[in-house]
Amino acid sequence: MTQQSIEQHNVVLEVRDLYKHFYLHTIDSRCVEALNGVSLSVAAGEHVALAGTSGAGKSSLLKSIYRTYKPTSGSVLLKLDTTTFVDLVSLTDAELATLRGTKIGYVSQFLRAQPRRSPFDIVMHAGIQRGMDRQTAKDAAAHSLQRLNLDEVLWDVSASMLSGGEKQRVNLAAGTISPPQLLLLDEPVSALDPANRESALELIGTLTSQGVAVLAVFHDIEAMRRLASRIIVLRNGRVDYQGSPEDALTNLEGVAR
Amino acid sequence: MKLVTAPEWVLKVENLGKVFGNLSKHGIENTGPEAGTSKDSVTGAIVAAWDVSFEVAAGEALGVVGESGSGKSTVMRCIAGDQAATAGSVKIRTAPDEQLDIFNLSAAERRQLRVNKIAVVYQDPAEGLEMNVTAGGNIASPLTAAGWRNFSAIRGRASELLSRTEVPLNRMDDAVKSFSGGMRQRVQLAKAIANRPPIVLFDEPTTGLDASVAAGVLDLIRGLLEEYGLAAVVVSHDFSVIEMLTTRCIVMNHGRVVESALTDQLLEDPHHPYSQKLVSAARA
Repeated sequence: MTQQSIEQHNVVLEVRDLYKHFYLHTIDSRCVEALNGVSLSVAAGEHVALAGTSGAGKSSLLKSIYRTYKPTSGSVLLKLDTTTFVDLVSLTDAELATLRGTKIGYVSQFLRAQPRRSPFDIVMHAGIQRGMDRQTAKDAAAHSLQRLNLDEVLWDVSASMLSGGEKQRVNLAAGTISPPQLLLLDEPVSALDPANRESALELIGTLTSQGVAVLAVFHDIEAMRRLASRIIVLRNGRVDYQGSPEDALTNLEGVAR
Repeated sequence: MKLVTAPEWVLKVENLGKVFGNLSKHGIENTGPEAGTSKDSVTGAIVAAWDVSFEVAAGEALGVVGESGSGKSTVMRCIAGDQAATAGSVKIRTAPDEQLDIFNLSAAERRQLRVNKIAVVYQDPAEGLEMNVTAGGNIASPLTAAGWRNFSAIRGRASELLSRTEVPLNRMDDAVKSFSGGMRQRVQLAKAIANRPPIVLFDEPTTGLDASVAAGVLDLIRGLLEEYGLAAVVVSHDFSVIEMLTTRCIVMNHGRVVESALTDQLLEDPHHPYSQKLVSAARA
């Protein structure tokens, strides 16, 4: 896509020919190919759902964009303001760390809770990283946790004591404390009961309508049908198919089941 | 034009090297991770650290990981001035118009740096504290070095610091040697932050403490890093410490930096064979 067409479509994230190969030096120098040239884009206010069988590269793609995995080659362009994009792959670690806090929200399936840190503390610090002052971050953290129905008695306990579903909500609350420019979701509602799942999905939908670009992995087709504006099916680390939810899901029933 | 600007460095280490003994002509090429040794086979010199470079900004903690003998503490000691470096430079910039190349300073100036710019928290509290002196007296020493003269003001500040690091105030006038390991470490932390130095170096700050005590000390360190916006270097062989305190890391092996990475990336996607070995050993 040319620079001009990126602007026309209000693209926030543009992934170009992304490869991620792991060289496992401790296991006979084996090479594992997780991504083999993925190209895609996500616009502001668009929710793109990644689909595909397990091992297709969905999580690897999200981690490579966030740079928890360091891409082998290719580029990940993120919009900074109306005319400038920055390639996340080429940033230094310190530059990326700055950008992560302010522009990108990443919510994974599991909360890797830092030991002895409370949910409130985790969410509040996410707010501080986004540039809020302490008091604003406190208010926003309370709002964010309330919105996801996390019982107030759990706000100041150690997050490692929480159940899987509670941890996921803390994770979501931290990732969405203020609308990031780009939100990466890796099965964020997989451990939630129906009522909590409902409010989480509603929150994700609201953020999308507020202009957040969302790239998500959901294992349930119902969530995709409801939230996605476009579906991209990955296979063997490549984009296999992309289209509207209706078309893709019909197509996918055969692949995913 | 730079599109993304990371906060500016406060501490900058460039090509730092420390050799014990005399190097032979090819001593550098013949040591390091490729050679699998730090020892110059001709002269017996030890290349404890070579070509080590990194930057740390205010409010940022950089981890230094590696197994024993990889050169982590040597780097720390060269920055702190406990050892003289063989090569390279260490610069600090704690105010906008300041830039100090610390190896060019006089001994007196280096000592002054340790009073109000760079503090060190050692693994062994006996290195950072006078064991026969009271907790209050230990904290008073950096304060008096910084020019505090009023007895009650010094005592007031000392008790403030001890409460911050959760040392019971009724122990303030007891000699540190009568304290438990965890409490000694808390006194060391109180002493380190006495003059609010912008840079603090932590050398295995929780190694050797019981798990429950270590946890409390770690929480305290994390709180201090956030509260004071310190530029911190954390040396540890314990990945849980590194993961909890730092955002970026360097990995050292045979005196060289073999990888630098974001901490989450190092843990999930280590690149260098040595880092892979280290991470898989820690996570197994």
